[in-house]
Amino acid sequence: MTSEPTGAAAVVFGAGATGLRIARMLDDSPSVGSVEVRDTDLERLGAVASRLGPKTRIGQGPAVAEGTDLVVVATTAGSQAVLALAAVKAGATVVTTTNEIAETRALLAAGKEARRHGVALVVGAGYMPGLTCLLARVGAAGFDAVDEIHVAKAGTGGPACARQHHRALSSLAIDWRDGRWTRRAGGSGRELCWFPDPVAGRDCYRAALPDALLLVPAFPGVDRVTARMAATRRDRLTAPLPMMRQPHPEGGVGAVRVELRGRRRGERHVVVLGSQAKPAQGAAVVAASTGLHLLGREAPAGAAGLASVPDPDRLLSAIAALGLRPSRFEGFALTHDAVA
Amino acid sequence: MAAGFITLIRRTFVAIVVGMALAAAIRVRGRGGVPPQTGGWRELRDDELA
Repeated sequence: MTSEPTGAAAVVFGAGATGLRIARMLDDSPSVGSVEVRDTDLERLGAVASRLGPKTRIGQGPAVAEGTDLVVVATTAGSQAVLALAAVKAGATVVTTTNEIAETRALLAAGKEARRHGVALVVGAGYMPGLTCLLARVGAAGFDAVDEIHVAKAGTGGPACARQHHRALSSLAIDWRDGRWTRRAGGSGRELCWFPDPVAGRDCYRAALPDALLLVPAFPGVDRVTARMAATRRDRLTAPLPMMRQPHPEGGVGAVRVELRGRRRGERHVVVLGSQAKPAQGAAVVAASTGLHLLGREAPAGAAGLASVPDPDRLLSAIAALGLRPSRFEGFALTHDAVA
Repeated sequence: MAAGFITLIRRTFVAIVVGMALAAAIRVRGRGGVPPQTGGWRELRDDELA
């Protein structure tokens, strides 16, 4: 007879580039007693079994057992809402990593069910959305009023993320403009966005990104919220076509940036925050930290993004402690030449 | 009559091809914006996070 592990019981759906990292981070946490990793791809599960931590085991199926404390959903975008709803009904705190518009809407709509069960359902706790929402919330503390939020990302995580990136560029974008939703063509609206090094300047375009759906409810009165992603000319030319070749197992270093514009002490004020990391690593750090953050506190029941998370400063500190340290763009040169 | 119709189709086809070639050239050879000339990124310190 084995003794029951102490600490929270966690289930991670998805054993891809992001899910596997989340499982390892949860396994490393002393507040988690057991981790169960599930994936529909049994071959992949078998392949990663040797890379899991000592508290982690492999499970199967979408059902979540009563008594599960935390469920993190890191499956392919489009498959997360069903799993999240099952976890909500089992009474677990749920963290999802979706970056798809339709699924974000479905998850936000599941907030009613989450309130009924008294649990928190975090929508889009990845790199973007996720870290971007959190940076917007923390950055907004320096404003009297935030008028505009513009987020952008560069890079992709695992193959599922790359496919979603490809689809997003050829689909309709959704922006919040002057108090109403606006649909714009994906791949339009080129803007040169400056990301933390080594990504630096990249041309970014509108795409089917769900960030505005998560940021607008968290910032009542905001005039404009837009989301863009970096793309090359080849990305834009081939976006309407099927992907011609298999995506890489994992992309290189990516980045996100958040630009806040508003008023402070009666004057216009702009803050630009960002981060650089491999997107799958960044998403895993944010999702795992969010799960651990919520385990230890009374989170309001319902569905929301990370811009509405309680105690956001502490969560950002936890994320930084795991190596995902945010940066701030300063309006002066930091090079030696400029100092001299 | 038939010859005029064929000419119309040929000219239309040429116009479309030329238009597509121009659009592709502009799209592929278009230049991005001007990168910022000053400023830089600085990692946030622990006291700025809390």
